[in-house]
Amino acid sequence: MRHSLSKASIKMALPPIHHHQFRRALPYYSTLLLQEYLHRLQLARRKAGKQYPDLLLLLQHRPVYTAGRRQTDTELQDERKRLEARGADFVHTQRGGELTYHGPGQIVGYPLLDLGRSVPPVAVRDYICLMQKTLKLHLREAHNIDSSSTDLTGVFLAPDAKIASIGVQIRHRLTTHGFAMNITNQPLAWFEDVVACGLEGVKATTVSAALGTDVSLRDEVPGLVRRFGQVYGRDMVPSIWTAIPRSAMLSSM
Amino acid sequence: MQSVLRRTVFARAGSLTRPSRPLGSPYRSQFVRTLITKRYTSDHESVVFDDETGLGVVSITNYAQSSLGDVVFVELPTVGSQVDQGSQIGAVESVKAASDIYAPVSGTVKEVNESLSDQPALINKSPEDKGWLCKIQLSDPKEMETLLTEKAYLASLEA
Repeated sequence: MRHSLSKASIKMALPPIHHHQFRRALPYYSTLLLQEYLHRLQLARRKAGKQYPDLLLLLQHRPVYTAGRRQTDTELQDERKRLEARGADFVHTQRGGELTYHGPGQIVGYPLLDLGRSVPPVAVRDYICLMQKTLKLHLREAHNIDSSSTDLTGVFLAPDAKIASIGVQIRHRLTTHGFAMNITNQPLAWFEDVVACGLEGVKATTVSAALGTDVSLRDEVPGLVRRFGQVYGRDMVPSIWTAIPRSAMLSSM
Repeated sequence: MQSVLRRTVFARAGSLTRPSRPLGSPYRSQFVRTLITKRYTSDHESVVFDDETGLGVVSITNYAQSSLGDVVFVELPTVGSQVDQGSQIGAVESVKAASDIYAPVSGTVKEVNESLSDQPALINKSPEDKGWLCKIQLSDPKEMETLLTEKAYLASLEA
């Protein structure tokens, strides 16, 4: 008896996304260097026809204000001086989006994915849309928090209350940077006195503020990872270090 | 659609004479012929090269602009800068995502599209015409042959 392949193409499952949560709050600049290193590794191995992983880094940063690509060093000069005087780092990056704050109490996620793995490739705007969906789903399922619908990128609880930001860079379909969601109230004071994301009149809010109780950041991560996999349609596997062959790490240094 | 357009400019006014060689091959004789070629990269940039001026007009393709979403900011190379084929020459920002753009050919940047600074949406509305990014003086026109023809590019989108 002959079996014929159905017209619908046999979908090749995409490899899992390897994720890792850093326990200690990390300085921004060295984490950026790590992202760049992993990005270069992915690009080089892809070019050489070798296997390379998709990754999701989850962490907190030490207090830092970061600016995006659009902003020039000249226009940022005064802001930089002012914000560094508050004890924060200041880093001008190549991601999309404008000024924002990262620090303890805020979950930062860096998906380092190859959007070209799937056929057709994931469109940039769909990648961002899925990121927003993940954050909104997490707020809804983990905390019963409804976010407002908006044309703006990011997650808002009200037109003037932003709870999560997104800012991404894409090179040859490889992503770096990602999202940041305020969990505890620690970030609030740092958001005062800056116009984050270029949005006048918009204040930062947090999960703790929305619930009226303290929330532990560590408890957020497993659920967030699971929902990331669910929304992006990928299996999530812990540990990034097993996904990177030692030979690749050593040869890239 | 033809990927190669031919424009024939008569060197002097006179009657039309029949070409003695097959139309498929470009040549210059009593007619001054210019050749305009369009090619694509797998990163969704396109370049229209005019061999008379030696300039290649670089754009992103319609596929690229639709995948990006509404463009809010365009970063372009500096006029006068030297670029290598495949090197990063700028970026397009949409929905908080900055997507790098790469030079389809090597050469010198002669002109950039100034209208994009206050009308970045031109890239969405007219990606390969009014939304052109920059004009490069090609240092090696043979590089055009390494790029995808329209047919090959469109086929790659279907895959």
